Amino acid sequence: MAMRSQVYEWTNLAPTTTGSNIRQSNDPQSVSIDANKALDIFIGGKGTNITQPASTTATQFVVIEDIASSPQSGGALNVRINTTDYFQNPDVTQQAGVPGLASPYPRGTTSDGATSNNDATVPTNAIVAGDNVLPSFSLTPEVYVLPGQTWSVLYTCTSAIVGGTAVKGGGLGVVGAFVKYTLYDGPDSLIANKLLEMGITVNPSNVDWYKRSLLEQQSRAAMMTATNGGA
Amino acid sequence: MAMRSQVYEWDGSRGTPGTTLTMLGRSLSIFIGGVGNNITMPASTTATQFVVIEEIAATPTYFGIRTNITGTSARGLTGATTNAYFGPLAYAQIVINTTEYFQDPDNVSNYGVPGAASPYPRSVNFQPSFSLHPTVYVLPGQTWDVRYTTFSSNAGVAAGDNQCFTKYTLYDGPDSLIANKLLEMGITVNPGNVDWYKRSLLSAASAPAPTNGA
Repeated sequence: MAMRSQVYEWTNLAPTTTGSNIRQSNDPQSVSIDANKALDIFIGGKGTNITQPASTTATQFVVIEDIASSPQSGGALNVRINTTDYFQNPDVTQQAGVPGLASPYPRGTTSDGATSNNDATVPTNAIVAGDNVLPSFSLTPEVYVLPGQTWSVLYTCTSAIVGGTAVKGGGLGVVGAFVKYTLYDGPDSLIANKLLEMGITVNPSNVDWYKRSLLEQQSRAAMMTATNGGA
Repeated sequence: MAMRSQVYEWDGSRGTPGTTLTMLGRSLSIFIGGVGNNITMPASTTATQFVVIEEIAATPTYFGIRTNITGTSARGLTGATTNAYFGPLAYAQIVINTTEYFQDPDNVSNYGVPGAASPYPRSVNFQPSFSLHPTVYVLPGQTWDVRYTTFSSNAGVAAGDNQCFTKYTLYDGPDSLIANKLLEMGITVNPGNVDWYKRSLLSAASAPAPTNGA
Protein backbone atom coordinates (compact mmCIF):
# COMPACT_ATOMS: atom_id res chain seq x y z
CA MET A 1 0.00 0.00 0.00
CA ALA A 2 2.61 2.52 -1.15
CA MET A 3 0.23 4.94 -2.81
CA ARG A 4 -2.91 5.66 -0.85
CA SER A 5 -5.87 7.97 -1.19
CA GLN A 6 -6.42 9.65 2.20
CA VAL A 7 -9.02 11.96 3.70
CA TYR A 8 -9.23 14.16 6.77
CA GLU A 9 -12.41 15.70 8.16
CA TRP A 10 -12.47 18.41 10.79
CA THR A 11 -15.59 19.55 12.63
CA ASN A 12 -15.95 21.98 15.54
CA LEU A 13 -17.33 19.08 17.58
CA ALA A 14 -15.88 17.74 20.83
CA PRO A 15 -17.13 15.87 23.92
CA THR A 16 -17.62 19.18 25.74
CA THR A 17 -18.41 22.67 24.49
CA THR A 18 -14.79 23.73 24.89
CA GLY A 19 -11.60 22.21 23.65
CA SER A 20 -10.90 19.34 21.33
CA ASN A 21 -10.75 15.60 20.99
CA ILE A 22 -8.54 13.19 19.07
CA ARG A 23 -10.86 12.31 16.18
CA GLN A 24 -14.66 12.15 16.54
CA SER A 25 -16.48 11.46 19.81
CA ASN A 26 -19.92 10.10 20.72
CA ASP A 27 -22.74 12.67 20.61
CA PRO A 28 -20.30 15.57 20.41
CA GLN A 29 -21.15 19.20 21.13
CA SER A 30 -20.36 22.30 19.19
CA VAL A 31 -17.27 24.36 20.14
CA SER A 32 -17.13 28.14 19.64
CA ILE A 33 -14.81 29.49 16.95
CA ASP A 34 -13.60 33.08 16.94
CA ALA A 35 -14.10 35.21 13.86
CA ASN A 36 -11.15 36.15 11.65
CA LYS A 37 -8.66 33.91 13.45
CA ALA A 38 -6.89 31.19 11.48
CA LEU A 39 -7.42 27.85 13.19
CA ASP A 40 -5.23 24.82 12.44
CA ILE A 41 -7.67 21.99 11.73
CA PHE A 42 -5.09 19.38 12.78
CA ILE A 43 -3.80 20.70 16.11
CA GLY A 44 -5.73 23.95 16.66
CA GLY A 45 -7.20 22.77 19.97
CA LYS A 46 -10.81 23.12 18.83
CA GLY A 47 -13.04 20.31 17.59
CA THR A 48 -11.64 17.11 16.12
CA ASN A 49 -7.84 17.07 16.13
CA ILE A 50 -4.92 14.69 15.67
CA THR A 51 -1.98 13.91 17.95
CA GLN A 52 0.78 15.92 16.26
CA PRO A 53 1.33 18.37 13.39
CA ALA A 54 0.90 16.89 9.93
CA SER A 55 4.30 16.22 8.42
CA THR A 56 6.03 13.95 5.99
CA THR A 57 8.93 11.66 6.89
CA ALA A 58 12.02 11.26 4.67
CA THR A 59 10.20 8.49 2.78
CA GLN A 60 6.83 10.16 2.32
CA PHE A 61 5.47 12.53 -0.31
CA VAL A 62 2.00 14.08 -0.02
CA VAL A 63 -0.10 15.57 -2.80
CA ILE A 64 -3.05 17.65 -1.55
CA GLU A 65 -5.83 17.32 -4.12
CA ASP A 66 -8.87 18.95 -2.57
CA ILE A 67 -9.80 21.24 0.29
CA ALA A 68 -13.36 22.21 1.17
CA SER A 69 -15.24 23.81 4.06
CA SER A 70 -18.73 24.69 5.24
CA PRO A 71 -19.91 27.79 3.35
CA GLN A 72 -21.81 29.32 6.27
CA SER A 73 -20.34 32.08 8.45
CA GLY A 74 -17.85 33.03 5.74
CA GLY A 75 -15.70 29.94 6.21
CA ALA A 76 -12.50 29.58 4.20
CA LEU A 77 -9.47 27.28 4.10
CA ASN A 78 -5.81 27.95 3.43
CA VAL A 79 -2.93 25.49 3.08
CA ARG A 80 0.31 26.21 4.92
CA ILE A 81 3.57 24.43 4.02
CA ASN A 82 6.17 24.92 6.75
CA THR A 83 5.54 28.64 7.37
CA THR A 84 4.28 29.66 3.92
CA ASP A 85 0.59 30.17 3.19
CA TYR A 86 -0.37 28.87 -0.26
CA PHE A 87 -3.22 31.22 -1.14
CA GLN A 88 -2.28 34.89 -1.24
CA ASN A 89 -3.82 38.13 -2.47
CA PRO A 90 -2.56 39.59 -5.77
CA ASP A 91 -0.52 42.07 -3.74
CA VAL A 92 1.14 39.15 -1.94
CA THR A 93 -0.64 39.89 1.34
CA GLN A 94 -2.29 37.31 3.55
CA GLN A 95 -5.80 36.05 2.85
CA ALA A 96 -8.14 33.45 4.37
CA GLY A 97 -7.90 31.10 1.40
CA VAL A 98 -10.52 29.24 -0.59
CA PRO A 99 -14.05 30.25 0.52
CA GLY A 100 -16.49 27.51 1.44
CA LEU A 101 -18.82 29.04 -1.13
CA ALA A 102 -16.25 28.18 -3.82
CA SER A 103 -15.39 24.75 -2.43
CA PRO A 104 -18.28 23.61 -0.20
CA TYR A 105 -18.29 20.72 2.26
CA PRO A 106 -20.44 18.70 2.01
CA ARG A 107 -21.08 19.42 -1.66
CA GLY A 108 -24.70 20.45 -2.17
CA THR A 109 -25.04 21.97 1.30
CA THR A 110 -26.77 25.31 1.95
CA SER A 111 -24.85 28.58 1.75
CA ASP A 112 -26.18 29.81 5.10
CA GLY A 113 -26.41 26.56 7.09
CA ALA A 114 -30.19 26.90 7.42
CA THR A 115 -31.81 24.19 9.53
CA SER A 116 -35.44 25.27 9.17
CA ASN A 117 -37.75 27.29 6.99
CA ASN A 118 -38.91 29.70 9.61
CA ASP A 119 -37.69 30.04 13.17
CA ALA A 120 -41.08 31.09 14.51
CA THR A 121 -43.08 28.13 13.17
CA VAL A 122 -40.82 25.14 12.88
CA PRO A 123 -42.67 21.90 12.25
CA THR A 124 -41.09 18.79 13.77
CA ASN A 125 -39.84 17.49 10.45
CA ALA A 126 -39.04 20.73 8.76
CA ILE A 127 -37.76 20.73 5.23
CA VAL A 128 -34.85 23.09 5.08
CA ALA A 129 -35.23 25.82 2.58
CA GLY A 130 -32.14 26.87 0.80
CA ASP A 131 -29.79 26.43 -2.02
CA ASN A 132 -27.29 23.79 -3.02
CA VAL A 133 -23.73 25.09 -3.16
CA LEU A 134 -21.58 23.37 -5.76
CA PRO A 135 -17.83 23.79 -6.24
CA SER A 136 -16.49 26.65 -8.35
CA PHE A 137 -12.95 25.69 -7.47
CA SER A 138 -10.68 22.70 -7.97
CA LEU A 139 -7.16 22.49 -6.62
CA THR A 140 -5.27 22.24 -9.91
CA PRO A 141 -2.31 22.15 -9.91
CA GLU A 142 -2.22 20.18 -6.69
CA VAL A 143 -0.09 21.16 -3.72
CA TYR A 144 3.03 19.05 -3.05
CA VAL A 145 4.37 18.42 0.44
CA LEU A 146 7.94 17.24 0.01
CA PRO A 147 9.71 14.77 2.33
CA GLY A 148 10.51 16.34 5.68
CA GLN A 149 8.06 19.23 5.40
CA THR A 150 5.32 20.16 7.86
CA TRP A 151 1.91 21.16 6.58
CA SER A 152 -1.32 22.41 7.97
CA VAL A 153 -4.74 23.55 6.81
CA LEU A 154 -6.16 26.69 8.37
CA TYR A 155 -9.86 27.45 8.81
CA THR A 156 -11.04 31.05 9.11
CA CYS A 157 -14.61 32.36 9.45
CA THR A 158 -15.72 35.95 9.04
CA SER A 159 -18.44 35.69 11.71
CA ALA A 160 -17.96 33.79 14.95
CA ILE A 161 -19.35 30.26 15.30
CA VAL A 162 -21.46 29.89 18.40
CA GLY A 163 -20.84 26.73 20.42
CA GLY A 164 -22.61 25.17 23.36
CA THR A 165 -26.26 24.17 23.46
CA ALA A 166 -28.99 25.51 21.24
CA VAL A 167 -31.10 28.36 22.56
CA LYS A 168 -33.82 30.17 20.67
CA GLY A 169 -32.26 32.84 18.51
CA GLY A 170 -28.78 31.74 19.59
CA GLY A 171 -27.41 30.70 16.22
CA LEU A 172 -25.65 27.55 17.39
CA GLY A 173 -23.33 26.46 14.59
CA VAL A 174 -21.60 23.32 13.37
CA VAL A 175 -19.03 23.63 10.62
CA GLY A 176 -16.71 21.17 8.92
CA ALA A 177 -13.66 21.09 6.71
CA PHE A 178 -12.35 18.38 4.43
CA VAL A 179 -8.96 17.58 2.93
CA LYS A 180 -8.32 14.92 0.31
CA TYR A 181 -4.71 13.96 -0.36
CA THR A 182 -2.65 11.10 -1.72
CA LEU A 183 0.19 9.70 0.37
CA TYR A 184 3.14 8.23 -1.53
CA ASP A 185 5.28 6.09 0.73
CA GLY A 186 8.55 4.15 0.36
CA PRO A 187 9.62 3.50 -3.26
CA ASP A 188 6.64 5.45 -4.61
CA SER A 189 7.84 8.50 -2.68
CA LEU A 190 11.22 8.24 -4.45
CA ILE A 191 9.43 8.01 -7.80
CA ALA A 192 7.31 11.04 -6.88
CA ASN A 193 10.50 13.01 -6.19
CA LYS A 194 11.97 11.84 -9.50
CA LEU A 195 8.83 12.96 -11.38
CA LEU A 196 9.04 16.32 -9.65
CA GLU A 197 12.65 16.71 -10.82
CA MET A 198 11.55 15.81 -14.35
CA GLY A 199 8.76 18.40 -14.24
CA ILE A 200 6.04 15.77 -14.56
CA THR A 201 2.84 16.02 -12.52
CA VAL A 202 2.86 13.67 -9.53
CA ASN A 203 -0.26 11.53 -9.72
CA PRO A 204 -0.94 7.77 -9.48
CA SER A 205 -0.98 7.31 -13.29
CA ASN A 206 2.39 8.98 -13.77
CA VAL A 207 3.94 7.01 -10.91
CA ASP A 208 2.70 3.82 -12.59
CA TRP A 209 4.05 5.03 -15.94
CA TYR A 210 7.48 5.61 -14.39
CA LYS A 211 7.47 2.10 -12.89
CA ARG A 212 6.59 0.61 -16.27
CA SER A 213 9.37 2.52 -18.00
CA LEU A 214 11.86 1.25 -15.40
CA LEU A 215 10.69 -2.33 -16.00
CA GLU A 216 10.96 -1.89 -19.78
CA GLN A 217 14.52 -0.57 -19.41
CA GLN A 218 15.43 -3.55 -17.24
CA SER A 219 13.99 -6.09 -19.67
CA ARG A 220 15.75 -4.36 -22.62
CA ALA A 221 19.05 -4.49 -20.73
CA ALA A 222 18.52 -8.20 -19.97
CA MET A 223 17.82 -8.93 -23.66
CA MET A 224 20.94 -7.03 -24.72
CA THR A 225 23.03 -9.05 -22.26
CA ALA A 226 21.57 -12.31 -23.59
CA THR A 227 22.16 -11.26 -27.22
CA ASN A 228 25.78 -10.45 -26.43
CA GLY A 229 26.32 -13.95 -25.06
CA GLY A 230 26.26 -12.82 -21.49
CA ALA A 231 29.52 -10.94 -21.96
CA MET B 1 -18.05 -14.31 -15.97
CA ALA B 2 -14.42 -13.80 -15.03
CA MET B 3 -14.62 -10.07 -14.44
CA ARG B 4 -17.69 -8.87 -12.57
CA SER B 5 -18.85 -5.56 -11.18
CA GLN B 6 -20.16 -6.17 -7.66
CA VAL B 7 -21.96 -4.11 -5.01
CA TYR B 8 -22.83 -4.56 -1.35
CA GLU B 9 -25.30 -2.40 0.54
CA TRP B 10 -25.58 -2.46 4.33
CA ASP B 11 -28.42 -1.01 6.35
CA GLY B 12 -28.29 -1.00 10.15
CA SER B 13 -32.05 -1.57 10.37
CA ARG B 14 -32.16 -4.84 8.45
CA GLY B 15 -31.30 -8.37 9.59
CA THR B 16 -30.37 -7.85 13.23
CA PRO B 17 -31.49 -4.23 13.65
CA GLY B 18 -28.97 -2.00 15.36
CA THR B 19 -29.70 0.07 18.44
CA THR B 20 -27.89 3.11 19.80
CA LEU B 21 -26.23 0.77 22.29
CA THR B 22 -24.93 -1.65 19.67
CA MET B 23 -23.83 0.97 17.17
CA LEU B 24 -22.69 4.22 18.80
CA GLY B 25 -18.94 4.70 18.52
CA ARG B 26 -18.36 1.11 17.44
CA SER B 27 -16.43 0.16 14.34
CA LEU B 28 -18.85 -2.37 12.84
CA SER B 29 -18.08 -4.74 9.99
CA ILE B 30 -20.78 -4.34 7.38
CA PHE B 31 -20.22 -7.99 6.43
CA ILE B 32 -20.06 -9.83 9.77
CA GLY B 33 -20.53 -7.16 12.44
CA GLY B 34 -23.67 -8.72 13.91
CA VAL B 35 -25.73 -5.58 13.21
CA GLY B 36 -27.91 -4.96 10.17
CA ASN B 37 -27.81 -7.23 7.16
CA ASN B 38 -24.74 -9.48 7.22
CA ILE B 39 -23.19 -12.29 5.20
CA THR B 40 -22.17 -15.76 6.34
CA MET B 41 -18.39 -15.32 6.54
CA PRO B 42 -15.70 -12.62 6.29
CA ALA B 43 -15.08 -11.23 2.82
CA SER B 44 -11.95 -12.80 1.38
CA THR B 45 -10.37 -13.75 -1.90
CA THR B 46 -9.40 -17.28 -2.91
CA ALA B 47 -6.10 -18.10 -4.64
CA THR B 48 -7.81 -17.44 -7.99
CA GLN B 49 -9.58 -14.19 -7.13
CA PHE B 50 -8.51 -10.56 -7.20
CA VAL B 51 -10.74 -7.76 -5.91
CA VAL B 52 -10.51 -4.07 -6.71
CA ILE B 53 -12.52 -1.84 -4.35
CA GLU B 54 -13.64 1.19 -6.33
CA GLU B 55 -16.04 3.02 -4.07
CA ILE B 56 -17.18 3.24 -0.46
CA ALA B 57 -19.91 5.53 0.83
CA ALA B 58 -22.00 6.05 3.96
CA THR B 59 -25.03 8.00 5.16
CA PRO B 60 -24.18 11.73 5.07
CA THR B 61 -24.35 14.38 7.78
CA TYR B 62 -25.58 17.96 7.46
CA PHE B 63 -23.74 20.72 9.34
CA GLY B 64 -25.93 23.78 9.96
CA ILE B 65 -26.72 26.79 12.09
CA ARG B 66 -29.62 26.47 14.52
CA THR B 67 -31.60 29.52 15.58
CA ASN B 68 -34.52 27.52 16.99
CA ILE B 69 -34.90 24.75 19.54
CA THR B 70 -37.68 22.65 18.07
CA GLY B 71 -36.82 21.09 14.70
CA THR B 72 -35.19 17.65 14.74
CA SER B 73 -34.85 17.09 11.01
CA ALA B 74 -33.01 18.74 8.17
CA ARG B 75 -32.68 17.56 4.62
CA GLY B 76 -34.08 14.14 5.49
CA LEU B 77 -31.61 13.59 8.34
CA THR B 78 -32.37 13.53 12.05
CA GLY B 79 -30.57 15.30 14.88
CA ALA B 80 -31.00 16.57 18.43
CA THR B 81 -32.77 19.82 19.26
CA THR B 82 -29.70 20.75 21.29
CA ASN B 83 -27.25 20.68 18.42
CA ALA B 84 -26.91 21.72 14.79
CA TYR B 85 -25.76 18.58 13.01
CA PHE B 86 -28.21 16.17 11.44
CA GLY B 87 -27.37 12.61 10.46
CA PRO B 88 -25.25 9.85 11.95
CA LEU B 89 -21.74 11.45 11.81
CA ALA B 90 -20.80 8.26 10.00
CA TYR B 91 -17.50 7.05 8.58
CA ALA B 92 -16.53 4.05 6.42
CA GLN B 93 -13.10 2.44 6.71
CA ILE B 94 -11.49 -0.31 4.58
CA VAL B 95 -9.48 -3.01 6.34
CA ILE B 96 -7.18 -5.42 4.44
CA ASN B 97 -6.20 -8.36 6.66
CA THR B 98 -5.47 -6.35 9.82
CA THR B 99 -4.41 -3.06 8.22
CA GLU B 100 -6.74 -0.07 8.18
CA TYR B 101 -6.46 1.80 4.90
CA PHE B 102 -7.30 5.38 5.86
CA GLN B 103 -5.00 7.21 8.25
CA ASP B 104 -4.77 10.76 9.57
CA PRO B 105 -1.76 12.92 8.68
CA ASP B 106 -0.12 11.81 11.97
CA ASN B 107 -0.04 8.26 10.52
CA VAL B 108 -2.60 6.97 13.00
CA SER B 109 -5.60 5.08 11.64
CA ASN B 110 -8.83 7.06 11.61
CA TYR B 111 -12.45 6.03 11.14
CA GLY B 112 -12.29 6.31 7.36
CA VAL B 113 -14.15 8.34 4.77
CA PRO B 114 -16.89 10.60 6.24
CA GLY B 115 -20.38 10.09 4.86
CA ALA B 116 -20.47 13.84 4.23
CA ALA B 117 -17.54 13.39 1.80
CA SER B 118 -18.84 10.22 0.14
CA PRO B 119 -22.60 10.15 0.69
CA TYR B 120 -24.91 7.19 0.18
CA PRO B 121 -27.34 7.65 -1.38
CA ARG B 122 -26.17 10.59 -3.45
CA SER B 123 -28.66 13.43 -3.93
CA VAL B 124 -28.73 17.05 -4.98
CA ASN B 125 -28.29 17.95 -1.31
CA PHE B 126 -25.44 15.50 -0.74
CA GLN B 127 -22.86 15.08 -3.48
CA PRO B 128 -19.48 13.37 -3.28
CA SER B 129 -16.28 15.30 -2.53
CA PHE B 130 -14.29 12.07 -2.56
CA SER B 131 -13.48 9.36 -5.08
CA LEU B 132 -11.39 6.31 -4.26
CA HIS B 133 -8.46 6.88 -6.60
CA PRO B 134 -6.12 5.02 -6.64
CA THR B 135 -8.44 2.08 -6.08
CA VAL B 136 -7.75 -0.50 -3.36
CA TYR B 137 -6.49 -3.96 -4.35
CA VAL B 138 -7.31 -7.11 -2.40
CA LEU B 139 -4.78 -9.70 -3.52
CA PRO B 140 -5.45 -13.46 -3.73
CA GLY B 141 -5.71 -15.02 -0.27
CA GLN B 142 -6.38 -11.77 1.60
CA THR B 143 -9.31 -10.96 3.88
CA TRP B 144 -11.01 -7.58 3.58
CA ASP B 145 -13.64 -5.65 5.39
CA VAL B 146 -15.54 -2.37 5.38
CA ARG B 147 -16.21 -0.90 8.84
CA TYR B 148 -18.98 1.57 9.60
CA THR B 149 -18.82 3.87 12.64
CA THR B 150 -21.51 6.32 13.77
CA PHE B 151 -21.12 8.97 16.46
CA SER B 152 -24.64 10.32 16.84
CA SER B 153 -27.31 8.64 18.94
CA ASN B 154 -29.88 11.13 17.66
CA ALA B 155 -29.78 10.08 14.01
CA GLY B 156 -32.27 7.24 14.47
CA VAL B 157 -32.01 3.54 13.71
CA ALA B 158 -34.80 3.21 11.15
CA ALA B 159 -34.34 2.11 7.54
CA GLY B 160 -32.02 4.50 5.73
CA ASP B 161 -30.68 6.17 8.88
CA ASN B 162 -27.42 4.18 8.85
CA GLN B 163 -26.31 2.88 5.48
CA CYS B 164 -23.04 1.91 3.89
CA PHE B 165 -22.25 0.98 0.29
CA THR B 166 -19.27 -0.52 -1.46
CA LYS B 167 -18.65 -1.10 -5.15
CA TYR B 168 -15.90 -3.46 -6.27
CA THR B 169 -14.83 -5.52 -9.25
CA LEU B 170 -14.12 -9.23 -8.85
CA TYR B 171 -11.56 -10.76 -11.19
CA ASP B 172 -11.76 -14.54 -11.19
CA GLY B 173 -9.81 -17.40 -12.82
CA PRO B 174 -7.61 -16.33 -15.76
CA ASP B 175 -8.57 -12.69 -15.29
CA SER B 176 -7.22 -12.86 -11.73
CA LEU B 177 -3.87 -14.05 -13.13
CA ILE B 178 -3.89 -11.17 -15.59
CA ALA B 179 -4.73 -8.75 -12.77
CA ASN B 180 -1.68 -10.01 -10.85
CA LYS B 181 0.47 -9.64 -13.97
CA LEU B 182 -0.72 -6.05 -14.46
CA LEU B 183 0.08 -5.32 -10.82
CA GLU B 184 3.64 -6.63 -11.31
CA MET B 185 3.97 -4.43 -14.39
CA GLY B 186 2.79 -1.36 -12.51
CA ILE B 187 -0.32 -1.03 -14.64
CA THR B 188 -3.62 -0.06 -13.04
CA VAL B 189 -5.95 -3.04 -12.68
CA ASN B 190 -9.23 -2.19 -14.35
CA PRO B 191 -11.42 -3.96 -16.92
CA GLY B 192 -9.98 -1.90 -19.81
CA ASN B 193 -6.39 -2.85 -19.00
CA VAL B 194 -7.27 -6.54 -18.47
CA ASP B 195 -8.89 -6.56 -21.91
CA TRP B 196 -5.86 -4.80 -23.37
CA TYR B 197 -3.55 -7.48 -21.90
CA LYS B 198 -5.72 -10.24 -23.38
CA ARG B 199 -5.65 -8.58 -26.80
CA SER B 200 -1.86 -8.22 -26.65
CA LEU B 201 -1.52 -11.93 -25.76
CA LEU B 202 -3.79 -12.88 -28.67
CA SER B 203 -1.95 -10.68 -31.15
CA ALA B 204 1.39 -12.13 -29.97
CA ALA B 205 0.03 -15.66 -30.43
CA SER B 206 -1.33 -14.96 -33.91
CA ALA B 207 1.82 -13.19 -35.13
CA PRO B 208 3.85 -15.17 -37.70
CA ALA B 209 6.74 -17.14 -36.19
CA PRO B 210 10.10 -15.42 -36.70
CA THR B 211 12.18 -16.94 -39.47
CA ASN B 212 15.71 -17.81 -38.44
CA GLY B 213 16.86 -19.00 -41.81
CA ALA B 214 16.61 -22.68 -40.89
